[in-house]
Amino acid sequence: MDIEVSEIDGKLTCIRLAGRLDSPGVDRIETRFTAAVVSQQRHAVVDLSGVSFLASMGIRMLISSGRALDLKGSKMALYGATDLVKTVLDHVALDQIIPVAAT
Amino acid sequence: MLSRVVEGDHLRLSLPNERAALEPTRLAVADFLAAYAPSEALRYQVELVIEEMLMNVVWHAFDDAAPHRIALALRVEPAQVVLDFEDDGVAFDPLQAPLPEPPVSIEAAVPGGLGLLLVRRMARAMTYERRDGRNRLTVTLAREPSGRVDGP
Repeated sequence: MDIEVSEIDGKLTCIRLAGRLDSPGVDRIETRFTAAVVSQQRHAVVDLSGVSFLASMGIRMLISSGRALDLKGSKMALYGATDLVKTVLDHVALDQIIPVAAT
Repeated sequence: MLSRVVEGDHLRLSLPNERAALEPTRLAVADFLAAYAPSEALRYQVELVIEEMLMNVVWHAFDDAAPHRIALALRVEPAQVVLDFEDDGVAFDPLQAPLPEPPVSIEAAVPGGLGLLLVRRMARAMTYERRDGRNRLTVTLAREPSGRVDGP
């Protein structure tokens, strides 16, 4: 599981995730992911195009960071999910609480 | 720590109730399944069911510190893949567990129960039985998932 963090014009945090977002994958990156999303007071976009597998542990990580960011008055959005990952997002209706864009 | 027996189209694994056992279990199943040239969707569903159900057992099934074993059997049939989970933890029928309500806002979102929800959405069938002090859960997946199988 890899994580790459960049920023655009100091206004937006971009986080690119790659690998498996299952329980071992979440164990590896959760601290860095949460820090990257929440420590800055700006909106965050998460690129899921490199994520080959997403399980409930990964969804929990996205929800808890999204909620922490929301409490600070900023928003998180997801994009680039593969078809199989998108099916999982749809099953739990994640797009009802975190915007999910195709690309 | 992981024991593995292959008999024809059956794979039988026995693993300790530890989180560290999940990854070797996943790899052993992927290795076994590879011989059947599974579709991406089937491989995904099998791995998801294993991750969610084993995490559930490791986290919630045991109220003591004693070591326990979890049995996982996987059977490949012409039209479906059948996964059997067996443990000697506290009785838990995942078919009776209430599913989380769809979230209405990020503030109100409860990030629990999602694993079970995913498994129920993807399974073609699920059965549960409590017998001789053991939980026995069977999850059946379609061999050619449509990707949007409606669960029970």
